[in-house]
Amino acid sequence: MHGAAVVVGVGESTYYKRGGAPISEFQLACDAIKNAVADAGLALADVDGLVSYMDRDEPVRLSAALGLGDLQFSAQTFGGGGNGSGAAVTLADAAITAGYAETVVVFRSLAQGQFHRYGRPSVGRRARGAAAYTAPYGMLSPAQITAMQTMRFMHDHGVSEDSLAEVVLTSFAHAQHNPRAIRYGTPLTREQYFASRWIAEPFRLYDCCPENDGAAAIVITTPERARDLAATPVAIVAAAHGLSHRDGVAAFGEENFPTAHYRTVARSLWQRAGVQPADIDVAQFYENFTGPVLMAIAEMGFCEPGELNAFVAGGALRAPHGRLPINTSGGNLGEAYIHGMGNVVEAVRQVRGDSTCQVPDVALSLSVSGPGFAPGSAVLFGPA
Amino acid sequence: MSGQHRLGPLPDDWTLPAVEAVNRAWFTSGAITLQQCAGCGTLQHPPEEICHVCGAMTFSPRAVAPTGIVHSYTVVHHSVHPSLDRAVPYAVVLVALDGAPGLRVVGNLLGVPVDEVAIGLPVVATWEELPPTDGEPLLLPQWQRQDQLPQQT
Ligand SMILES: [Zn+2]
Repeated sequence: MHGAAVVVGVGESTYYKRGGAPISEFQLACDAIKNAVADAGLALADVDGLVSYMDRDEPVRLSAALGLGDLQFSAQTFGGGGNGSGAAVTLADAAITAGYAETVVVFRSLAQGQFHRYGRPSVGRRARGAAAYTAPYGMLSPAQITAMQTMRFMHDHGVSEDSLAEVVLTSFAHAQHNPRAIRYGTPLTREQYFASRWIAEPFRLYDCCPENDGAAAIVITTPERARDLAATPVAIVAAAHGLSHRDGVAAFGEENFPTAHYRTVARSLWQRAGVQPADIDVAQFYENFTGPVLMAIAEMGFCEPGELNAFVAGGALRAPHGRLPINTSGGNLGEAYIHGMGNVVEAVRQVRGDSTCQVPDVALSLSVSGPGFAPGSAVLFGPA
Repeated sequence: MSGQHRLGPLPDDWTLPAVEAVNRAWFTSGAITLQQCAGCGTLQHPPEEICHVCGAMTFSPRAVAPTGIVHSYTVVHHSVHPSLDRAVPYAVVLVALDGAPGLRVVGNLLGVPVDEVAIGLPVVATWEELPPTDGEPLLLPQWQRQDQLPQQT
């Protein structure tokens, strides 16, 4: 099933455009962790576990620099890029529930302005492994990979460009309420979206997440420890992580191509939570690119793929009163691209009631981590 | 072959596959040569070091028809590497092989304007002869429309 741990703090660094951070990626991580621990009303010395995904900031260095408690647990998830955020929460929940640690920080720090850019893959003269079958043809960036998936998905199910646009416009609209968001004060019109240049068809510029510098973190602990704290605890209602065994075959060899790799996660999550998609009040869908968001909405079971155009139209994704408000902080597109950790923070905020686009009376708040790349992961929060 | 120019949209100095034991037949045979499991006969692509059906680790090469259908594609407009600045826009296609149902191959579609690339186009393989990367000449699979002659690139 799932563990008993609860989220008691959230925090982030200031978010910057790529290259805009005046401090290092490591310092950004420290800022986010300090802010989340302070939000929880805890001391850094209370933290005895660190979990992340694809991060460069080693727990050993963070422990020493921040004066954390004796480290009892540290872990990262394998692969999947931003898909690690939900899986990282799962690891922390498991460690706390099993008693290996009491208070674990899940964090992600990413300064693409200081290290390599995900949208500028480094390629050598020789492509090895899975890249041997794609890179020689100029197929190498995440945008290109998910464009290949999305093109077939749109073809199979009649998904319109307007539906892609609606994902973008929703994030930008929500970002206008969030002073932390990089796009705060910079709205986007439908006309600007359609006039933006092609990146990799069917994706235009605004279908693609930006590259940002920043860090985000949440603090997870036991229900017993949470009772002593002033913060409102948020329950991890259920979490799921994984893939069916042929879901991650290289070079689009998946037997069920095109997939966002969420069918397994959906089945496990709904079964563990004992709820259905229609019960969800608000959701964060990691927008690396718009196409995978639509694929994930369908694979998570919110509608059939052929119903997507109708499902997303007419403000259905907009807070506070849409059928399924998504990406209420502005998400990766509008708030900041911190590899999806910002989505997890926002999902927690929606339960606490302190989102800048608050949905009323949230009982179930979903974060879907990183569609398009396997393995998938998702986490469902609710009032503790 | 060092003076060879690539047939496709990509520059001569662009990345090429490293030829390794697992993919030698695919990248050097000049045919659509798939891995066929010696244990159970399963065809798999991309090649792997173990059969995903029966677990056997020995394979024999099996050439299948060099034809297929464009299953998906993207037209890349934004260059993600300085070497590609003059190559864009270019099309990358995912070809569903006629001779191996369920298996797909990535390539470029040669000789077709990018605005004519479409899902469902029947295509036929051709091979780019490229300088050896690891001892043997490379024969990189590429694709053309079935109604176009190989020379029309
Ligand atoms: Zn076999």
